[in-house]
Amino acid sequence: MLLEMLDYPFMQRAFIAGLMIAVLASLSGSFIVLRRYSLLSETLAHVSLVGVSVGLLFGMSPLWMAVLASLVASWMIEYLRSVHGMYSDSVLAIFLSGSLALAIVIVSMAGSFNASLFSYLFGSILSVSTQDLWVMGIFGSLAMALLLAFFKELYFIAFDEDVARAGGIRVTLLNFMLVSIIAVIIALSIRVVGTLLIGALMVIPPVAAIRFGMGFYPTTLLSIAIALISVVIGLSASYLFSLPSGAAIVLCLLVIFIIALVINRR
Amino acid sequence: MKFFPSLFEVNGLNFERQGTLVLKGAAFRILSGEYCAIIGPNGGGKTTLVRLLLGLEKPTSGDIKLFGIPQNRFRDWNRIGYVPQRSALVDSTFPATVREVVGMGRYAVRGILGFESRDDKTAISEAMELMGVSDLSDRLIGNLSGGQRQRVMIARALASNPDVLIVDEPNTGVDVESQHRFYELLRTLNRTKKMSILFITHDIGVIAEDITRVLFVNQTVLVSQNPAEMIRCDEMSRLYGTPAHVVSHNH
Repeated sequence: MLLEMLDYPFMQRAFIAGLMIAVLASLSGSFIVLRRYSLLSETLAHVSLVGVSVGLLFGMSPLWMAVLASLVASWMIEYLRSVHGMYSDSVLAIFLSGSLALAIVIVSMAGSFNASLFSYLFGSILSVSTQDLWVMGIFGSLAMALLLAFFKELYFIAFDEDVARAGGIRVTLLNFMLVSIIAVIIALSIRVVGTLLIGALMVIPPVAAIRFGMGFYPTTLLSIAIALISVVIGLSASYLFSLPSGAAIVLCLLVIFIIALVINRR
Repeated sequence: MKFFPSLFEVNGLNFERQGTLVLKGAAFRILSGEYCAIIGPNGGGKTTLVRLLLGLEKPTSGDIKLFGIPQNRFRDWNRIGYVPQRSALVDSTFPATVREVVGMGRYAVRGILGFESRDDKTAISEAMELMGVSDLSDRLIGNLSGGQRQRVMIARALASNPDVLIVDEPNTGVDVESQHRFYELLRTLNRTKKMSILFITHDIGVIAEDITRVLFVNQTVLVSQNPAEMIRCDEMSRLYGTPAHVVSHNH
């Protein structure tokens, strides 16, 4: 029965999209977790919701509006943090609540909390189109190429930003690049995982992997593996039990996290 | 690689933070091969001065030249090794092995997409060997003692084979034995490997015999090429504005 689901084109698309997102989200998530910047993913997901709401209200592409909103917000957050020296958690809290408030106002202007918006909030395996896959493929490949090209620099920055800067690494530029990549990944992920749950796919795999007490490279690989396993199990459960895909994936992540916690009690 | 006798050349350097003057009219040169101690009271601007030299802070006015090149055009940052203050205090859960941390010292040398070359591997091994952390290679940095972490951070700074090593009060949380090994190492690097040392410290008595220049930083920068004279008790008491005792230790 599990293999039967792969006969359906919508499930094939959901799996391809889900696996791409799993790799991208867990890889980029490792850097924000290590920098204690985990709420960035949650905040940008809420900002994406503003883009989706604007798209639905004005009949524009919700996906592209989410990408735009998320990108602009990520630059503003990084600017306030790095240039104005504001506490990152305070900046994130302001954007998180502010964007949610804005999204609620826009949704209320639309007059109804429709089913379409619901699928963006919690993810839906039925909503991934072939066009979405192409967009994810192109932007996902670009994000992946940048993450791999600057992997060691981003790792150094996460470990010690000052020493990395003193060593000639262009920290400010790379910080802006990282938040931009995360903004795009989040906006592209909302079809499958949903805006309210994508943060978990970025944060839980690295946090669970860190519990195993390994070096950065094995930790990153384990984090990707955890995300991939969760997406496969979550999407399967979503198909079998008619659950929202995002919620099913996040529950799988939570189970793996609890297992990691129990195995590695320190 | 060109040889510049002057590693750091500073003229009319002023720095303000939120309207408060931290450094005023600093002017000095540090030459190749020198062992320079930076001393002064807490809050006097020692760390700020080092951060300005490294480009981590932007001066309000004044000029800084590194290896004879104006700082804004200087690109060979791998020629300067930096061990910051409290570097031994590391997040205990950070997923990084000793080998990975020391390897960071080569990242700027490797460039974008650069994979670890044979030269990189050799430089990392030599730095770890020199600091006596080779046997800790696969251990997580967070699981080490303060002294071991300090040695790892210095190994990272040495991995790029720098011409000058800047260390900023690195002995926080480090036991006395490790401190003495550290002073011995700085002396060896300076005398045997001809590496220039810039060392922020409160414990000047320990390195009194090694240093060739002292910068006393307390908003202004006083330079002495006669350290023995500057670290006399009466002179130190005058500079610090409070009775000071200089204690010499045997290495």
